[in-house]
Amino acid sequence: MRSSNKLTDEMAELLLKISSMLMTSGANTNRILLIMNKFTILMHVDAQLFINHKAFIISLTDKRNGDKTTIVKRLPPHVVNFSTISSLSEAGVKAQNENWKFKKLKAEIDKIEKESRHSQFIVLTSVALAGGGLDIVFGGGYYGFLAVCIGTFFGLFVKQFLHKKEFNVYLGTFMGTLVSSAIVAAIMQFFFPGINPDIAIATSVLFSVPGVPLINSFIDFMDGYFITGMVRFVHGLLFVISIAASLFIVMYLFHIQSL
Amino acid sequence: MYVDLIEKAFWAGVIGFGFAVLFNVPYRLLVAIFLTSFLAGLAKFGTLILGYNMIFAALAAASVVGFISIPISRYKFTSPFVVSIPSVIGMIPGYFGYKTLLGIMQIAMSKDSTNEVNTILSITQNAVNMFFILASLAIGVSLPWLLLRKKGIEKIKFSQSDDLL
Repeated sequence: MRSSNKLTDEMAELLLKISSMLMTSGANTNRILLIMNKFTILMHVDAQLFINHKAFIISLTDKRNGDKTTIVKRLPPHVVNFSTISSLSEAGVKAQNENWKFKKLKAEIDKIEKESRHSQFIVLTSVALAGGGLDIVFGGGYYGFLAVCIGTFFGLFVKQFLHKKEFNVYLGTFMGTLVSSAIVAAIMQFFFPGINPDIAIATSVLFSVPGVPLINSFIDFMDGYFITGMVRFVHGLLFVISIAASLFIVMYLFHIQSL
Repeated sequence: MYVDLIEKAFWAGVIGFGFAVLFNVPYRLLVAIFLTSFLAGLAKFGTLILGYNMIFAALAAASVVGFISIPISRYKFTSPFVVSIPSVIGMIPGYFGYKTLLGIMQIAMSKDSTNEVNTILSITQNAVNMFFILASLAIGVSLPWLLLRKKGIEKIKFSQSDDLL
């Protein structure tokens, strides 16, 4: 169904853009609907939305003139970006309070879409320290901390490099965790042979654990969105399988019996 | 004991901070996420020291995060979700997840399956732990939303006539 009114189409496209930005940035289904709700009230439209992991369908009715439109949008690859969620959430509140016009809202959404990410070096260093922290929390000690920091730094670098080259995400995760766990196993075996490497190796891959899809899947289940929850869970499970496969290879190569 | 608890909680804060940077959380929220993760670490490891199991500890820590993230999100003009998820991400039971899969791979590679009873038990235990810890984290993080919203099981309506989905 196509509308004769260009504005209704534009509003539907903008709403789809907002919802797809939220979905690909890692928002759960309820959060997407809450934020979208603010924008639909502002635009004076009734919206029916079908949410899927790979595509969205929106059916819009303009309350002022009765125009209707239905649009489908395929989603780009998912990359967790909480800055986008935070900015969209803030924009929704501001737009409602200050009663923004459509043009201003569109300009703001375009601006949010172009927001940059933190620099790669800062990300790699912070995640390396977080990986080392996980080793300490699991009781791996400070030698393990050092090994995990180095392994995580390079493992995440490889994962990000493969992501930029548009490799399959699960393959990227497999390669990233293979590099990180192999580096940690090698450091522990050559420099600290008296220390049990199990905890260090097990924590060296935790930077790739799909925390956001897994936790979102359970939040979706609790809110009654079973299909999206199930899709997110399977997506997370495939990451876990990739990690397990890389660990299996490293354990085989370094003759480690169990973790 | 207390030094050990503080040390682990500090590293829990570092983990939350690191994952927040990975998830591209705005700079203005990073200190708040460090603090929420630190408090979550105190709750989790404190609960474990008191003798409770991992699942209950995860629920306690995630509930602390869930409740703290509400005032922080109001103060910092953001969604509570942006504060709470990086703070609990270090508690995601990834370790149990890949231990389960490594066990399955071990059975697949085994030549004599009669000796794999312990492996099957270990797979079951790890999978159950993973499932319940994930559920605890999700419940804990959503607890304020579940308890404090106005209309119980509230339905979000876009349309005046019908429910959304």
